[in-house]
Amino acid sequence: MKKNRTRKNRLLAIFIIGLICVTTFAAIGCGKSTEDTKDKKVIESVDDIEGTRIGVQSGTTGAIYAEDYEGDEAGTIVERYNKGADAIQSLKLNKIDCVIIDELPALEYVARNPELAILDEEFTLEEYAMCIDKSSTALKLQINDALKELRDNGIYDQIVDYYINNEDGSVEKYVPKDVSRDNGTLIVATNAAFPPYEFYSEGKVTGLDMDLSQAVCDILGMKLQIEDMEFDSIIVAVTSGKADVGVAGMTVTEDRLKNIDFTDSYTTSKQVIVVNTGSTQDIETLSFVEKFKQNFIDDNRYEYLLTGFRNTIIITIGAVIIGIILGFLIAMVRTTHDRIGGLTIINAICRVYVTIIRGTPAMVQLLIMFYIILAAVNNKIVVAVIAFGLNSAAYVSEIVRSGIMAVDPGQMEAGQSLGMTYNMTMIRVILPQAVKNILPALCNELISLIKETSISGYIGLIDLTKGADIIRSNTYEATMPLLAIALIYLAIVMILTGFVHKLEKRLRNNER
Amino acid sequence: MSILEINKLKKSFDGIEVLKDISLKVKEGEVVSIIGPSGSGKSTLLRCATLLEKMDEGSLLYCDEVAVKDVGGATIYAPKNELRHIKEYFGLVFQNYNLFPHLSVMKNICDAPISVQKRDKEEVKQEAERLLEKMGLEDKKEAYPFQLSGGQRQRVAIARALAMNPKMLFFDEPTSALDPELTQEVLKVLKDLAKDKMTMVIVTHEIEFARNISDRVIFMDGGVIIEEGTPSEVIENPSNERTKSFLTKMKV
Repeated sequence: MKKNRTRKNRLLAIFIIGLICVTTFAAIGCGKSTEDTKDKKVIESVDDIEGTRIGVQSGTTGAIYAEDYEGDEAGTIVERYNKGADAIQSLKLNKIDCVIIDELPALEYVARNPELAILDEEFTLEEYAMCIDKSSTALKLQINDALKELRDNGIYDQIVDYYINNEDGSVEKYVPKDVSRDNGTLIVATNAAFPPYEFYSEGKVTGLDMDLSQAVCDILGMKLQIEDMEFDSIIVAVTSGKADVGVAGMTVTEDRLKNIDFTDSYTTSKQVIVVNTGSTQDIETLSFVEKFKQNFIDDNRYEYLLTGFRNTIIITIGAVIIGIILGFLIAMVRTTHDRIGGLTIINAICRVYVTIIRGTPAMVQLLIMFYIILAAVNNKIVVAVIAFGLNSAAYVSEIVRSGIMAVDPGQMEAGQSLGMTYNMTMIRVILPQAVKNILPALCNELISLIKETSISGYIGLIDLTKGADIIRSNTYEATMPLLAIALIYLAIVMILTGFVHKLEKRLRNNER
Repeated sequence: MSILEINKLKKSFDGIEVLKDISLKVKEGEVVSIIGPSGSGKSTLLRCATLLEKMDEGSLLYCDEVAVKDVGGATIYAPKNELRHIKEYFGLVFQNYNLFPHLSVMKNICDAPISVQKRDKEEVKQEAERLLEKMGLEDKKEAYPFQLSGGQRQRVAIARALAMNPKMLFFDEPTSALDPELTQEVLKVLKDLAKDKMTMVIVTHEIEFARNISDRVIFMDGGVIIEEGTPSEVIENPSNERTKSFLTKMKV
């Protein structure tokens, strides 16, 4: 009993040390950012952005405009972020000099971050439209008609006013109409980190674009299904049939028209330049408790972490099951082939499989699985479980193979001399010994698998990391959510390691 | 009736002929010892006879049932199900025991009779207990192999082979891995088995033991049987020069 308690204490100590390390990291990170402002360039107009570090959201028109400056003689650098909010965060930390972004999101960001300002001079005027596959002509016409109807009956203005001109709260949010929805489902791809067009609120994707999509669906008699993903994945999702339309504050550009069609424009927007004025007098520094409340309690934001935690666990468990079963099968095929011959074709397939999986990044595999191989499967968790399961199987198979090969060949002979078949000896004699030897390696694989699932956000799945991302893009605060998930990952891994350690001890009972 | 019959067995490894034309018959109740220098092919003979190694040429029969047929320079093995049946005629005891380290002594003995021969669990357990008593190991039922001495492990291995109720037992240098003082406890078990008229083929370096226990002694060298006969013929009065020089080296 006493021994047990010291072990628990030790685990707790490790956890606390980890916590201190992470916090220290964060503190150092914060301190550095405020000092490092010496080479800051002052930007007062469009002409000044030459030679600066420009932040943009990858795939947006802002990025396209910024590219014109990239690599010029003045040495302009363009930094592409997955989210507008990430670019803004970098600007706040003075990692970049300005951000080119759409006007309305810029207004939101500036409203929440007093040190930021929008240059008066607008960068360019552009039109937003829904993107749609070139073959979906009929749907495009229907949507165009619906958009026209919404403009005519005033609903369009109501939606826009609710999100943009609603300081006094007099405009009501659009409520889905009670109509029959027999005409199927409209799958809308979006990137919910772009307020007020699309963003997360109370666990749901909402915003101007989403209400407009809902209103269109109400007219067309369709069900609305929203898929959140990276902005630069939206067009691929629409062309690959993962989504019917992309509604994401997307500007109509020449380049995009090569790949995809657009509906009539539903609003105009400007690209503006956001800079960090460094004026900190208006900034009220939040205390730890206030920050905690803002990040996790307000708007029930902790629910993103709960959902993320649940999904991370589901994906990991599913992937482990697939990985273990398939990994053992592959290992059996390969050792059987090496030991007693036969199974030539299956063995060759297994070898190619292991080579490919181990030779490509898990993220690439996940994206290929989502956009190409399982393009017809819309349940993202299923896709992630399969992708990570197949990935893990390759590694598990090599671990198991090494474990089988490490068992004394005399064991196989002993089994066979007792009349056991090859398979029987494998299952009753060889594998139990192999498993005991490879348990630490398997545990290692499980640990990396858990952490590997953090890339699930790339297919728009809310895992733990994505959950923190959503909070981050809502609160513009990186420290709290990132530290929170770092600690959650750490806790999961430590609990698991403890469990495997116990199992290992039990299995080692029959050994010196 | 012969329990074991080997005719014109040949076996090569990578072009090197290890067994050249070996023929051997073992009658029921007979104890045959095979002696000879290292590399003479004794162990390979045993491994071919127990189907762990594939024969290149020759035939192999157990109780007049054909396990391997000679077809003029090649071999045909009996179908799997027949081989499975034939394998029940013999048991094999290894030099380094090859007990299953993850199973207790009791499970080591009972696993195959229950899972392979589908015998009644209780009956097998009772038999295992009887065998352990015979081996003087009745108090080691629940022990794991690592808790046993080499001699105890080898006795468990013998019990494991006997639990399958074989018609004969092969021993591949059963005492070579043991300290001298542990050798005796294993040899005593073999003597008891001989008394009980168990048919046995023993590859051994224990010349003295071979003389005491065997009905017949075979001296092998260079992949052939050089001399064969009663212990008094082969060990006490060897006629062949190679036998003589081998026995001199072994200080008999």
